[in-house]
This record gives sequence, structure tokens and C-alpha cells, in this order.
Amino acid sequence: MGPRLRGRPPRIDGTLPWRAVPMTKIERETAERFAERYRVGPAEVSRRVELAVIGGDWGANGYTTMAQAGLLGRELRLRPGVRLLDLGAGRGWPGLHLAASTGCQVVLSDVPIEGLQAAAARARHETLAARPGLVAASARTLPFTATVFDAIVHTDVLC
Amino acid sequence: MLRACRRVLRPSGRTAFFTIHPTAGLTPAQRRRASRDGPIAVATTRPHRQLLEAAGFTEVTETDCTAEFAATTRAWLHHWDTNQAELAALFGEQVVAERQAVRRAQLCAIEDGILARSLFTASRPEERRPG
Repeated sequence: MGPRLRGRPPRIDGTLPWRAVPMTKIERETAERFAERYRVGPAEVSRRVELAVIGGDWGANGYTTMAQAGLLGRELRLRPGVRLLDLGAGRGWPGLHLAASTGCQVVLSDVPIEGLQAAAARARHETLAARPGLVAASARTLPFTATVFDAIVHTDVLC
Repeated sequence: MLRACRRVLRPSGRTAFFTIHPTAGLTPAQRRRASRDGPIAVATTRPHRQLLEAAGFTEVTETDCTAEFAATTRAWLHHWDTNQAELAALFGEQVVAERQAVRRAQLCAIEDGILARSLFTASRPEERRPG
């Protein structure tokens, strides 16, 4: 049985980041560590390096390249009408990119709210079929109604 | 987390994810090194395929992406070295040195064959209808 959601499920129509479930100590520490990084927009040098390494400029510093993001999109058969959940989405990589490139509808979820705020700002400059949903929550206690997504993606969240 | 994913995924819905993990068949000492030199959360003791199946997923596939992982780690190292002065001005010299040290240790673990990265895909099975 999945975790019980207290109160109503969050709106996933792309308005405000929404924290649904209290964080554990580890999640709070993770959120604080990343929050500091996300509050500062990527500098020109970071953008240039990221572009050279992974082929994108999403303020990411991980290992999923642009080609691998495309592979995720094909594996998940993303297309208009598909509802995708991106867990640990950071500033929107790769979920927001997948929504822009395939036309699917995305909900971005992560523990630090600051990354989601950056993703919301970025979304305004992307051509999207629908505004992204933004939900601050732990992947351990996903605050969504059952069977609501067609596809789920995450990159190096589960290690 | 995988059980939570299964719950919110519709029947026949799919998940796909990259994950960094220790390679199979390591000694306890190698496993400890893989956990130390890999990302902070490399702590899983069971293979991901087993974790997915235990969470109720089917049609599990695994594709090894360790070569690309090594190449991307080398690229981060190279471009941070090349842009060291600008990055140090932004983050501070100590932070840059620490991050590069972490990347070098991770690359050694990959090259020594104890740390890997894989793409997993899996599906939530269709609901069985009574009768």
C-alpha cells in the first residue's frame, strides 16, 4: 500500500511549487544543500561548461547527456497527451526538456523548492503543450492520486 | 521509492531511469570503496532489477552505460580544469579543488571496474480482472 496523502492531492496544472508532506531529517539536509546552489542562477562559465559536457544548459551537473535524455524520451514513448513525472528534477533537467521536445505534459518533483522555482522561470521561455506541474515532495511519499501518470523518469536519484 | 512510483503509474505505464551503482561480485572492501567514491547515495545492496521486480514492475531491462559515464566524468574534469580560474572566482578555490578530487576518485572507481551506470526500463503490469 502506498503512502497516505494528507489533504487534497496537489494541483499539477503548473502554478506554484507545493510541499505536500513533511520532510525527514536527511531530506531537509539535502534540500538545504541544494537550495543554496539553486538560489544562484548558473553563471556564464557554468553554462559554457555544461553545454560542452552534456550538451544542454539546464544548470545540471550530473551525467545525463542530451543524447541520453533523447533515449529516455524514446524508451518512455513520450508524445503529446502523455503525462510524465520527473523525480529529482532539479532545475528541470531532463523533464522540462522532454516536455519541450516531445510535447508531453510534465510534472516536476524534487525536495528543494528553489530548483522548481528556477524550472518555473525556465518554462516560460520554452514552447510547451501545457504548463509544467511543480511539486516539492519526497520521492518516498509521492503525493499523487494512484495511476495518474503514464511515465516516470529519474536520473541518478536512486543509487 | 519504486513502490511509490508503481502506485502513481497507470497499468502498462513505463518508467525509465539512469542509476549509478557498484558492479556485481565485489568484495566487501571494494563495495565500501564504490560507496565512498561514487555519488553520496550509492548505498543500495540489492541489484536494481530485484528491487524493481519486488516493487511489482515487469518487463525489466538493463543497459550498461558505464563507458558514457566515464566519458562524461572525464569531460567534467577536463572542462573544470580548463576553466579553473573562472570557476574558482565563482565557487572558491577550495570548492573547485574538492569537487575535482571527488570526480577523480569516481573516475578511478569506474576505471577499476567497481562503479557502473545503467539505464533501467520497466512497466507496471496490466491489472488482472476477476473471472
